Amino acid sequence: MYKSVFYKEWIKTKWFLILLSLIGLLAVGNIFLKVQHNITFNGANKYWYLILFQNQLYFKSLKFVPLLIGLTIALIQYIPEIMDKRIKLTFHLPINEDKILLIMLGYGTFGLVVSFGLIFSFFSIMSSHYFGKEIVDAAIISVLPWFLAGLAAYFLAALVILEAIWKYRALYFIAAASFLLLFFEGGIAGSYSPVNFKLIILTLLISISLIFSAYRFRKGEM
Amino acid sequence: MSNVIECKNLTHYYGKKLVYENLNINVKEGSILGLLGKNGAGKTTTINILHGFLQPREGECLIFGENTQNLSPITKSRIGFLIEGHVQYAFMDIHQIEKFYSGFYPKWNNEPYWELMSKLKVTPKQKISTMSCGQKSQVALGLILAQEPDLLILDDFSMGLDPGYRRLFIDYLRTYAKAENKTIFATSHIVQDMERLIDDVLIMDYNRVLAQSSIGDFMGNFKQFNFKLNSPGIDLSKEDFVVNLETTGKEIELFTYESESFVKDFLKKNNISVDNFTEIKMGLEDAFIGLTGKY
Repeated sequence: MYKSVFYKEWIKTKWFLILLSLIGLLAVGNIFLKVQHNITFNGANKYWYLILFQNQLYFKSLKFVPLLIGLTIALIQYIPEIMDKRIKLTFHLPINEDKILLIMLGYGTFGLVVSFGLIFSFFSIMSSHYFGKEIVDAAIISVLPWFLAGLAAYFLAALVILEAIWKYRALYFIAAASFLLLFFEGGIAGSYSPVNFKLIILTLLISISLIFSAYRFRKGEM
Repeated sequence: MSNVIECKNLTHYYGKKLVYENLNINVKEGSILGLLGKNGAGKTTTINILHGFLQPREGECLIFGENTQNLSPITKSRIGFLIEGHVQYAFMDIHQIEKFYSGFYPKWNNEPYWELMSKLKVTPKQKISTMSCGQKSQVALGLILAQEPDLLILDDFSMGLDPGYRRLFIDYLRTYAKAENKTIFATSHIVQDMERLIDDVLIMDYNRVLAQSSIGDFMGNFKQFNFKLNSPGIDLSKEDFVVNLETTGKEIELFTYESESFVKDFLKKNNISVDNFTEIKMGLEDAFIGLTGKY
């Protein structure tokens, strides 16, 4: 059964997961092309100085990339389920309704973790290649909430999409957007250090919120 | 024979609007029941309750003895479900969807599926979303048959199908159900299709059940008499034996469960003069309209 659910989700998302991961990797590549350019033309010392003392974020263009990936995967995975109320087919399969949703969610989360893992690793490796430990650590602390935002956006988009009533969908959307702003407060590099752990906990807490929309659907809120 | 479906005292409202009250439905093992009703009479509501997608305000439905609000995976594997419009996972092709479903059903038998697919003029990699309604219906039917369910619940199975596919669908289904002793609960807005398929009929109107019996009893007992009314100002519609009365000028269509002699005696006793009194042979669609009215 797990294999079958993963197979269906893979059919829906494979090209998007591959393409979006490539876009993420290209975005990182682009960041370091600019880094290379700045080092070559302005000198490494001056560029490091700008990063360390003038709060220049060399990785700023990565900010919304995980969010875009998380949202797109949620749309690709869950919109086909609500079109023509196709979710009824999923709920009719001989498996507990919550369990099948969690398997679908598990697939999406796994796909995003792999995709984000690749992008994050590439970013970390490239950062280590160009900068010292202090700059790399601050950069990692700063980009981590953006990747968490990608996962949170995926979880919340699933909640919004699976909700059957537009009024509630709009309310969930507003609440979700407000929540996601927490991940993009900005500030200097490394400023998220005290809250990253709390953001991880919050992201985990909202991860299964789609169960609520599905429960409402099953009780007839259509 | 035991009941595969038992709905007891179902009552449901949408907001304050009553859909039906104290509805009781029993479907015996091996029988084919057709649920008929006008749009909005509660057919889809009943299907949704049967599937556990809707909680009735009162009452309960049992399938294989389990409450439909909490069907176990084992019981769900015994139910084949056709969604209105033959909805399936449209992003898959016929091979992918067969592979997907086969992982869920222990008794999966792909023979009837591929038999039906061989009749379709589709390419192996063609997505279901690009197929015609008729082709989609065959995919949906093939998948249900491959599942080898004991009960099939078909919601408006004729929607979007041209006459050829409708006939193919019904004939294939009835032959299969009778050969394998399957139970079917079906709705369709094309009533004439039901006549070829069902053993028992349940006709619903807004808030109430109008008829519930075997198709043979219903068609045998429900009658239409046409006549020309010569006596002006007579209103027969209030008489107890009149189920429905359609009037066009002096021409009357009277629908009743009473016999020809009963109606004639009534007219004679009450000095109501009529001409051209004729019993009209009805099909299921005529009987349905006769029972529910044209409006």
